[in-house]
Amino acid sequence: MNSLDPRVNRLPEIVETESHKVPLDQFGTFEVFVEPKEGKPFQHEGCVHAPNLEMAYVLAKEAFTRRFTCTSLYVVDTQDVYVSPMTEGDKNAYDSIPEVADDAGDKTSFEIYHLIKRGKQHVHAGSVSAANDLHAMAIAKTTLNTGKTVYNIWAIRNDKIRFTTPEEKDLWITLPEKKFRDASEYKGGVKLKNFLEKTN
Amino acid sequence: MSELALKELLYKMADDQLILGHRNSEWTGMGPLLEEDIAFSSMAQDKIGQSLALYTILHQLGERDPDTVAFTRNASQFHNCQLVELPNAEYDFSLIRHFLYDTAEAIRFEALTRSSYEPLAQLAAKIRGELRYHTLHANTWIKQLGSATPESIERLQKSLAYALPFAVGIFEESPYEKEIIASGIFEGEQKIKEKWLAQIQKILAQTSMYLPDIKIIQPIVGGRMGKHSEHLQPLLDEMSEVFNIDPTAEW
Amino acid sequence: MYGGGNTFEGIKIDSIAQEDPAKLAEFESRIARGEKIEPTDWMPQLYRKQLIRMIEQHAHSEIIGALPEGTWITRAPGFKRKMALMAKVQDEVGHAQLLYSAAETLGKSREQMIDDLITGKSKYSNVFNYPTFTWADCCFISWLVDAGAIVNQLANAKGSYGPYCRALDRICAEESFHLKYGHHCVIYLASGTQKQRDMFQEALNRWWPPMMHFFGPSDKISTHTEVLMRWKVKMGTNDDMRNQFLDMYVPKIWELGFTIPDPNLKKNTETGRWDYTEPDWEEFKRVINGDGPCNKERLEVRRVAEERGKWVREALKAPKATYVTPLA
Repeated sequence: MNSLDPRVNRLPEIVETESHKVPLDQFGTFEVFVEPKEGKPFQHEGCVHAPNLEMAYVLAKEAFTRRFTCTSLYVVDTQDVYVSPMTEGDKNAYDSIPEVADDAGDKTSFEIYHLIKRGKQHVHAGSVSAANDLHAMAIAKTTLNTGKTVYNIWAIRNDKIRFTTPEEKDLWITLPEKKFRDASEYKGGVKLKNFLEKTN
Repeated sequence: MSELALKELLYKMADDQLILGHRNSEWTGMGPLLEEDIAFSSMAQDKIGQSLALYTILHQLGERDPDTVAFTRNASQFHNCQLVELPNAEYDFSLIRHFLYDTAEAIRFEALTRSSYEPLAQLAAKIRGELRYHTLHANTWIKQLGSATPESIERLQKSLAYALPFAVGIFEESPYEKEIIASGIFEGEQKIKEKWLAQIQKILAQTSMYLPDIKIIQPIVGGRMGKHSEHLQPLLDEMSEVFNIDPTAEW
Repeated sequence: MYGGGNTFEGIKIDSIAQEDPAKLAEFESRIARGEKIEPTDWMPQLYRKQLIRMIEQHAHSEIIGALPEGTWITRAPGFKRKMALMAKVQDEVGHAQLLYSAAETLGKSREQMIDDLITGKSKYSNVFNYPTFTWADCCFISWLVDAGAIVNQLANAKGSYGPYCRALDRICAEESFHLKYGHHCVIYLASGTQKQRDMFQEALNRWWPPMMHFFGPSDKISTHTEVLMRWKVKMGTNDDMRNQFLDMYVPKIWELGFTIPDPNLKKNTETGRWDYTEPDWEEFKRVINGDGPCNKERLEVRRVAEERGKWVREALKAPKATYVTPLA
């Protein structure tokens, strides 16, 4: 190619072949949860396409925590997020969660997320100990349901989550210093003012 | 201890990071996967940012300002290893270079956290999280692609064979090597090279790849003395193209 | 970033007539009272279709939009500009990632969307079919094309579809750096040497016509989009957006002593809106349909990137990859 971009001019010649249509290379998605500041609840930020959980963690770190503030991150396969029905108006999603008899069996930890406003992100409401996803929601109904309208609930098994380890917290120590991506570093005001004074 | 020894160390580190960061930034917008494009670009920015921190220390030691040093020197004045100036080729080469170089860099900066030269020790401590990410990323990718398909294994293996002689050049000793070790500023290239070999072996053992025998490799050196491949000057010409329209102008 | 000048095809109104009237009424009243639509809600087929198209075009605009400025990444003058431009172009790729994910919640896979981009089936913002000849061209885009995009994005962020709003919230937050950076670059060119001033003036002369095309065809000749306005898919008319942009940025350009290559450009004191020479909409149509200076190159670069990445993605795929639509 004869491009203005020197990088493009270094691209290899790849001939388009009229071969059979290759099936699309699809990746599954992983949901990404970020702790914006120490002590603040985790919140859902979006998803990444990745082949597995570890790769999802590595990719999510830059896709979702390269800017603004972050002190921790975790990811989980979209398929491992248990989702309640979505409600609207003043109907609480917890109303449709059935009671589940307390299981005497093994329990494990679940993270519970609430959507308290349509159009916003799900926010961490708390953790519960339960035998399965539905049980987790039932417990959350009694312990985390404050009566305030919740439009959607997510329950996520801890053992499906790739958390940030304590040593890995240093991944974000220089984040606040990377001001070259902050609007505050580009105050042209003084230069502009001097220029206007000179030309007027 | 002569200041020359310290400056030599700082220059070669900064030059490595500037040139590699520049190379890696060439992938932005053209990566194999959107999320990876983003991740690779972040690491390139980290490298440039780290080189700026080192050139800033050099400036405090009396060298010219970072922009002048980075954008107006010629190839023979740069002390980066030749590995970092090589063209990107395909993603297998870029990943292998990222793996080989960043593993060494993390080990180097870990050693520098114990440096007797305070500004370096502080910088090394500060960027440990960035380097943690770079090695986590590299290791995850090499382990994944190094065991995946016949094509990915073959590509990585070929790139490894090609890159290794250049990678050994990272550890080309400084003319002031004994001095820098004696001063406690840096534990020296030999030490980190040993740790590096052990570390890359450890990761490669978790793949279907093998590490060629280092003992029979002819290292490609000279970069630290200003002897470069034919690729560096064109890289510098491109990098400083706009800057050189008017080096006195403010952009 | 560049969610503007979308091409909405002629809407077949009778396709709405086939929808369940009770559900449709409920859907419309939800939108009217400002509540967001989420992926699992019932929605008319037309809504789903137009949203996919709009969000997809926006995503394509980001990934293609990375290329004109990307042209100057390796040549940015000085550390400050170098790092900023790397971060800015990275953000564009990041925005593409966010937007493809938002569109995916409506049922079309990212891989399918990228395939449609490369084959020319899907469109992207026309402004990126023009070349960035100099550093000043790059600065023009960073400042004014981004400014145009922000006008659109701020409007669309108040739209009805939850996932798109969430993506736009994040995008708008990142864009504030882009806008300030772009303006900063141009202030330095304006207050610099004569060579620098001339470089930007020439770039401005080249880019003004595509910039006037940016918000899409004049309302006088646009296809009817009332239902999309009612459904808060389209948040403002093309002319309204264009006028807003002119109002905010023409004074800033003039303030720096640059001339805009349109002798008729002025604020009409009676109407309160900007008068200008009617842009050449035939040229716009020509370029958006493939006949612009850079169309071929932009898509070719994208195609080559995908081709080169094929072996990587093959190697990444888990043995049993099952595709799942993202949640939100």
